[in-house]
Amino acid sequence: MVERPWLLVAALLLGSLAQAAEPAADADGFKRPLERLQFNSGHEQHEFERASLAILDVRDPWERWNRRVYHFNYRLDEWVLLPAVRGYRAVTPGVVRSGVRNFFANLAEIPGLLNSLLQLRGRRALDTGARLLLNTTLGVAGLWDPASRMGLPRQGEDFGQTLGVYGVPAGPYLMLPVLGPSNLRDAVGQLTDFLAANRIDYLNVATASDAHPEISALKAVDKRDSIPFRYGQLNSPFEYNKIRYVYTRARQLQIEE
Amino acid sequence: MPRLPSIAVLLGGLLLCSRLPAADIDPASYGFPLHNPFEATIATTPPELRPDLPPDSEIDQRDYSLSLHPARPFALPDSLRQVRDLRYRLARQAHAAPLIFIISGTGAHYASSHTEYLKRLFYGAGFHVVQLSSPTSYDFMAAASRTATPGLSREDADDLYRVMEAVQAQQADLPVTAYHLIGYSLGALHAAFVSQLDETRRRFAFKRVLLLNPPVNPYDSIRNLDRLVQTDVPGITGNLTFYELILGKLTRYFQQRGHIDLNEALLYDLQQSKERLTDEEMAMLIGSVFRFAAADIAYTSDLINRRGLITPPDYPVEEDTPLAPFFIRALQCNFGCYLNEQLIPQWRRRHNGGSLSQLVGQIGLQALREYLAGSRKIAAMHNADDLILGPGDLAFLRRTLGERLTLYPFGGHCGNLNYRVNSQAMLEFFRG
Repeated sequence: MVERPWLLVAALLLGSLAQAAEPAADADGFKRPLERLQFNSGHEQHEFERASLAILDVRDPWERWNRRVYHFNYRLDEWVLLPAVRGYRAVTPGVVRSGVRNFFANLAEIPGLLNSLLQLRGRRALDTGARLLLNTTLGVAGLWDPASRMGLPRQGEDFGQTLGVYGVPAGPYLMLPVLGPSNLRDAVGQLTDFLAANRIDYLNVATASDAHPEISALKAVDKRDSIPFRYGQLNSPFEYNKIRYVYTRARQLQIEE
Repeated sequence: MPRLPSIAVLLGGLLLCSRLPAADIDPASYGFPLHNPFEATIATTPPELRPDLPPDSEIDQRDYSLSLHPARPFALPDSLRQVRDLRYRLARQAHAAPLIFIISGTGAHYASSHTEYLKRLFYGAGFHVVQLSSPTSYDFMAAASRTATPGLSREDADDLYRVMEAVQAQQADLPVTAYHLIGYSLGALHAAFVSQLDETRRRFAFKRVLLLNPPVNPYDSIRNLDRLVQTDVPGITGNLTFYELILGKLTRYFQQRGHIDLNEALLYDLQQSKERLTDEEMAMLIGSVFRFAAADIAYTSDLINRRGLITPPDYPVEEDTPLAPFFIRALQCNFGCYLNEQLIPQWRRRHNGGSLSQLVGQIGLQALREYLAGSRKIAAMHNADDLILGPGDLAFLRRTLGERLTLYPFGGHCGNLNYRVNSQAMLEFFRG
């Protein structure tokens, strides 16, 4: 019982210190959090509107076509791709799925390496080359990803980015069937990366895929499984506009980086 | 006569109970690290202080849809075809268990982050869980609301009740031992009204109902939320908009760290760096999220009811119709605007006039004062620094709920729902 007054004093002291930066509370305990804010005077109150309208400022002359593709993708996702992903997850153990994911990601290092070289990013090209080497050998054809554990994280670069780095403008926004949001420049980039990977035919996967279309199907299902985005997830009647902005801005940031 | 003493104790207990003060959680022992209400609202609890939750792979869950198609004067436009049926998510236990309905907050749908978190928490504790969209979410407005003009709590609760009955019918094979109800933010207000409705309809006979951070007077709450985007943020001029300013801070922060790492502790870490956001900037971010929700509500309600305020009444809105002109108009409309231009005129037409104060009196928790005071199955958890409260709201909750109100000293708006101390208290309430 002797300790009690001390505890009380300590608590009071601590309490008063902790609350020094906070406004006094009402009798019912309410702290009036909005009263610590500085508000704008009358005529400057439209920053939200001003900033948000800028979001809509994306060149999209093919909007009607793009919107139809967006709805097509929405349905394809729900009726084909996501059921396929669910089936794939149900029949395949996690360790196999991560092996599949790593295997295809390892193949994707090839265009990544080429693009790092094209952008004259020596450091990144070296890192990506080292990843490719380590994961293909130690990681047994890329089924494991020992490079990440050795402190070499994946750093994807694509040809769309390379074009952007050299000043090629994004061009009109373009919703690609199945593949989703893009723009003219990035769509050309995607095609180029695909053709380059086919030409190089690393580990003979491209050749094998021609004979066994199931490899491409597996790649597609794995790809969909790896993307957490779901159509409808933004839960807004303006989802198309929001995706368009986020895609465009994210690409700008990737290129500026 | 051996029973007499226990009855006396019980009576005494009841008398005392009605006068017991709210459970005020002591700031010193509470341990929630974010004492800034804006930080807490955005970042929520640092990951290491969250409860252990089951991963997706251990949850037997599926999305279902209900074809309610409420009768309305106008057909649903093609652009809303993807929300013609109402989706909900059910996580089922392999055995008989109590079922808990979760009602989401303002503009949020059944799979939004707070709702998903609550699902994991209660599923892990052995409940069947049903996740529902808010009546203010555009999917609910299109697929389940009879007026598609949310804001009248009783009507919203009525729509919700029909949805819950439809869920019950669709899941008739699910072995349910008891029904519970929980809602956060605006969903908590809805939960209170749904619970009252259930007292007469008795389809669920809810055993326990928990209100997490409810607005007490929603009219005051929306005024607070509308004001958040009017804070003074220095440095915004010309081409630099508010979002670019925030993006700039994030970019510089990532450059200093050397890599981009979008994880759950992002804001927490950012606030420890020199690129930290000011209170005004965080308020504006929170306010912006709510303004986008307000834009969705105003647009959807106007479109479904062909009011012609945002979309011209005879304008064909197909799947491929560019919506930017309407998005622009909707973005100008905050909650107050939606209330004045759509909700109140509609309410006046259907209820023969009536003043704003009458409407305000009908939609808040005050309208349920006696019911809340007398229903021991209902409890509330709130924060002393919640952004949606106004002066006197906590006094009302204290008077009405007594010890059934737990008041936490920190957490902002719903920022401490995923703090271990809170999650423990929630589970105890439903187990007790």
